[in-house]
Amino acid sequence: MATRTLDPVTFEVLKNSFVTVVDEMAEQILRTCHSFVIFSRDFSCALHDANGDTIMQGSQDIAVHVGTLHLKAKAVLEDFEGDIHDGDVFAVNDPYRGGTHFPDFSLIRPVFADGELIALAQANGHWADVGGSVPGSFDVGATDHFGEGIRVPPIRVVDRGTPRDDVIGMIASNSRAPGDIVGDCHAQIEATRVAEQELFRLIDKYGKEDVVAAFGEVQDYVERLTRARIADLPDGEWETTDHVDFDPGGEEGLVKVAVKLTIAGDEITYDLNGSDPAIKSFLNSGAGVAFSGAIASAKTFLPEIPLNSGFYRAIKVDVGPEGTVVNAGWPNAVTGSVSGAYEKIMNAGFELWSQLMPERAMACCFNLEYLLVGGRDARRDDRPFFMWYDWMAGGWGGRNGRDGQDCTSPVFGVGLAVQPFEGQERLTPVLTSQHEIIPDSGGPGKHRGGCGVRKGGTLTQVEAAVMSYCCDRARSVTWGISGGLPSLPHGVWLNRGADDERFLGANFSGVPVKEGDRFERPSAGGGGLGDPLERDPDEVLEDVADGYVTIKRAALDYGVVVEEVDAELAEYKVDTDATQALREEQRGARRARLDEAPEDVARRFRDGDLDVMDLVRHYGVILDWGSGDVLPRTTEQYRELLRRRSADQWE
Amino acid sequence: MASEATRVVAVDVGGTFTDVCVLDQGSGELHVAKVASTKDPIDGVMAGVEEAGIDLSATALFCHGTTVATNALITRKLPKAAMVCTKGFRDVVEIGRGTRDDLWDAYKDNAEPYIRRRDRLEVTERVDQAGQVLTELDEEEAKEVARILARREVETVAVCFVNAYANGDHEQRMAEILREALPDASISTSSGVLPELFEHERFSTTVANAVLSPLVTGYVNELDRRLKDDGYDGDLLILHSGGGVMTPEAVQELAVRLAASGIAAGAVAARYTAALCGHKNVIGVDMGGTSTDISLVYDGNLRTTNEWFVEYGHPICFPSIEVLTIGAGGGSLATIDAAGSLRNGPQSAGSDPGPAAYGKGGEQPTNTDANLVLGRLGSKLVGGGMSLDREAAEQAINTIGEPLNLDTHAAADAIIRVANANMADAVRIISLQRGYDPREFALVVFGGAGPLHGAALAKELGVPTVLVPLRPGTWSALGCLMVDIRHDLSEMFLRPAAEADEQEVNEAFARLEEQGRKLLASEGVEDDDVTLERSIAMRYLGQWRSLEVAYDGDIDQAVHRFHSEHEREFSYNRDHAPVELYRLQLVATGKTADIELPKHEKGGEMPEPIETREVWFEGEAHDTPVFERSEIPAGASFEGPAVIDQLDTTTLVPPGVKAEVDEYLNIRMEVK
Repeated sequence: MATRTLDPVTFEVLKNSFVTVVDEMAEQILRTCHSFVIFSRDFSCALHDANGDTIMQGSQDIAVHVGTLHLKAKAVLEDFEGDIHDGDVFAVNDPYRGGTHFPDFSLIRPVFADGELIALAQANGHWADVGGSVPGSFDVGATDHFGEGIRVPPIRVVDRGTPRDDVIGMIASNSRAPGDIVGDCHAQIEATRVAEQELFRLIDKYGKEDVVAAFGEVQDYVERLTRARIADLPDGEWETTDHVDFDPGGEEGLVKVAVKLTIAGDEITYDLNGSDPAIKSFLNSGAGVAFSGAIASAKTFLPEIPLNSGFYRAIKVDVGPEGTVVNAGWPNAVTGSVSGAYEKIMNAGFELWSQLMPERAMACCFNLEYLLVGGRDARRDDRPFFMWYDWMAGGWGGRNGRDGQDCTSPVFGVGLAVQPFEGQERLTPVLTSQHEIIPDSGGPGKHRGGCGVRKGGTLTQVEAAVMSYCCDRARSVTWGISGGLPSLPHGVWLNRGADDERFLGANFSGVPVKEGDRFERPSAGGGGLGDPLERDPDEVLEDVADGYVTIKRAALDYGVVVEEVDAELAEYKVDTDATQALREEQRGARRARLDEAPEDVARRFRDGDLDVMDLVRHYGVILDWGSGDVLPRTTEQYRELLRRRSADQWE
Repeated sequence: MASEATRVVAVDVGGTFTDVCVLDQGSGELHVAKVASTKDPIDGVMAGVEEAGIDLSATALFCHGTTVATNALITRKLPKAAMVCTKGFRDVVEIGRGTRDDLWDAYKDNAEPYIRRRDRLEVTERVDQAGQVLTELDEEEAKEVARILARREVETVAVCFVNAYANGDHEQRMAEILREALPDASISTSSGVLPELFEHERFSTTVANAVLSPLVTGYVNELDRRLKDDGYDGDLLILHSGGGVMTPEAVQELAVRLAASGIAAGAVAARYTAALCGHKNVIGVDMGGTSTDISLVYDGNLRTTNEWFVEYGHPICFPSIEVLTIGAGGGSLATIDAAGSLRNGPQSAGSDPGPAAYGKGGEQPTNTDANLVLGRLGSKLVGGGMSLDREAAEQAINTIGEPLNLDTHAAADAIIRVANANMADAVRIISLQRGYDPREFALVVFGGAGPLHGAALAKELGVPTVLVPLRPGTWSALGCLMVDIRHDLSEMFLRPAAEADEQEVNEAFARLEEQGRKLLASEGVEDDDVTLERSIAMRYLGQWRSLEVAYDGDIDQAVHRFHSEHEREFSYNRDHAPVELYRLQLVATGKTADIELPKHEKGGEMPEPIETREVWFEGEAHDTPVFERSEIPAGASFEGPAVIDQLDTTTLVPPGVKAEVDEYLNIRMEVK
């Protein structure tokens, strides 16, 4: 680290000013963006030094962009070396150059002082549609990037102050929502200008030399803070795996994401070597997103440390060779990485950090999910194109001494706000049928997972409509730790309960749908933490009174016998003796269930004797939830995980 | 509302203190009193009235700002409440938008909904976005729900149905059924409270109204009764979040409007002070012991926001004066973090133990300690109520100075500079971000600690003028007197501007105006005192954030205004892009009595200083005269360095800063 030259006041003031600069960029974007995806906070901003290293990242930024912005900044510096001018702005979305996925477009402005390049200001936002084969640019069926959307390596979109409308227009012409693209592009360009002006103000006041010195010292500061925190943790190695559901190009079976974490002194290394090969779907991640997943898991346990490149100097990530599910490489499809490899790295990180810092432990959180219905709106004579683009809140993992958070945005981005369905009903011919908490969805545990949500709808006047879904964990079900149990599988049902009922799974693309079709899907709850048979019966009682847990599953999952006293008054009571007896019985019987023949279990499921929660929590059997067929290899893998995380840790 | 009496009274109840301002409009005398807030806030109000020596029978107007609603929400001391929702949607207020206040701290949870899940019941009914009934309200279910809630003895119910902004009939019918079964309960419907699009925001506001209604109504009625018992026969007016006042009758319908009553007063007082001094653009900085409230007035209007909450995740979507509260006050702690960097706040020493200088066991340095060490505060506060321990302050400062290798004065200076820079950042957030340049503003500083920091803050921001009102410590209470009765009414009107029929728009406004007039008439406002202001919230088609522009019956002109306002606020506009009307809004104002602060003849001379002491500025000690504020007459001018002491605050005038006392006895500083 460089020596410190700034006096403590100038340093503190400039450090805080850099936070204000990036937060002002964020405010500017929020107020001027066109796309509802950005308005829902799927964007990020950063200030970089002349090397592209991050000086400060926005405090409200979406998690998945963490640790990727400096890579894009460096890509611009590399490609345009010697050809960067005052007044230029560059754009880049290339996931093979550190970007996240094609919809995430960064606008990057070099900032010059006295003719010298001193900084870069970056505004990165998720654009609603960047072309490709399906609306929203989420082609679940893509196996390479060519069908996913327009790929933009660093290009110049403003040339010495003059916007290159031809270039911006070329990008917009590849989108189904060209107006939004142009609007968002300008909003982001403007945001970088705000940052530039603020930097000029700081230079006027403190001088260029001090401001540039502060760029470095703020990174050193974060590095010192981070190293001090790591030094307090024990040295050693910790490893685990998490899984993507399957490889559509291969046999059934979970796809491994391997994470090893090593602490040596004041440094942490994440090692993702050992992860499975890239799969034939877009759930792979690129190297940038893999890096981000590791960094974001660390940041979750060190929430008070500001984010910049100093953090990345103390926490290193080895994403392994190209060609894996975590570092797919060109031209493998990666647009769904946020639902795929990314959140697996993050949750695996949570599991490891929970051992390092048990006081902040947290089980697995529900997986990001995006449902998209696109088609023609037949409510209007001109049949305009519509997109019903929806994501849900869900449950987070059980915690040390506390249940998980209910109905929370995905770990991919806690600032990502769910959309108001009254707004959706105005804009699209989709009538929302429910938006409610799912009873029993929180993974059982001494501290249960937070509850998930169910949202569904009916298609009213639509034409030529198709439905796509980007999710995961229909099989690699949101898991518990320290004896806690899983939640429930993801997946979309069409016309559930009717003759033409279909389970579409957790990942599908372009399924034709028509007027009158009904759909619904759950978001999982969080995994449980600790043995559910040790949960305080009074907590189960309260959950029953509020309907977070049903009387039936209070007995099945917690061994707590709850009796109704007066349901109209929400009055219930625990039968203490019966509870004791039931818990005793379950302690004796539960391990053997994980060895029962999967086919027998599946038959009982098909006969209606067992339900899906019984299977994923108590029998460890994974089916194709539509057909009811056993997935033997997946079941074997899943049972091993359930033993490791849950059964082996029961007293 | 006229009365022969000339005395007007403002009482502002805060968490720690209840401030009282009495202005005799005849004689021009202004009295203030400060008493400790009490468990039953009304006791504090009455104690303050007594302390100030107010004869209520000779009082023309009694205005009141209160944190009673805010505190009830925070402490959850709420009545037994229930919610009735459309089937499938009882969790809307719990799911919310899914977001968390702190993006990274997974142990920082959102507050629970104000009404528990077990108390949120459902009935079958459904209306679509156009207001068409898709499923009729199931009367049998509705009656069953009402019967259950009667058994539960609930005191208040929020009725929240999907798309009720477009058609509130089902909600109204549900409310009738509930009233039959629960004759004593208060019933709030989402279409009655806030007929606006977006279910979570509308439901959340309605729920807040429901849980506050019995409590706030009871409070206001009780206060009304006790004032009358003591001889008051005028109107009781309560300050609401939007910077207007409302009558007890209006409070019964919209209790939630008092949710930010307590913080609105200071902002209103800042606007008033600035207007007296001829400033239309002003930033109000109300700095107390633990926090600073920052507000912004542009072109004579306070900035308001529709996105406001007491607890994150539970929005209250009424126009509320936009006040940014940051953790910077006299008691804010200076610390050195794990990486060896100097920090200031947001943690505070509070009032116990308080700053080290209070000698109550505090060992960590605060801004007050630093100000004492720098000589900016005297060891004895005027009035002699309390003395400060300089030695203890120095010791505390040195705990910061030593690791940073700074001597005591340099360390104290560093602490203050960081505090000022933090406040400046907060001011930038509220101004620059919204397209305002702070250099075009004046700063009004008040609260116990504001006048100590005002000049330095202005310098940091490039603000040329600082105004210190006469009674900074109780000034915010005066804000309660400086507003009119105000109702904010709105109606969703979603239509592309090009397709909007002016006649239809005007008819909708006429409906709102009739509603506004009716409300004001029921509050005793004469027709001549009514003002109605129409505005339309618009947005570019496809964009999600709307801007409000004035509407005078001509849509084209309003659209034109929208483009130019967009340019000002966001630095760009799209002349050719289609614009969508979003919401019609009406502000119905009933004028209350004008308040006039006494004016003083200019021409006095500066008095002799009460003492001269060493005060440190930018690393140098200056012999600095200390004046007693009450001795400085209107028209007196002087140049810093100077310290002005008074009972409730100390004003610091740094070297080179020119100051003048105007005819309203405000100190005006010109900062270079």
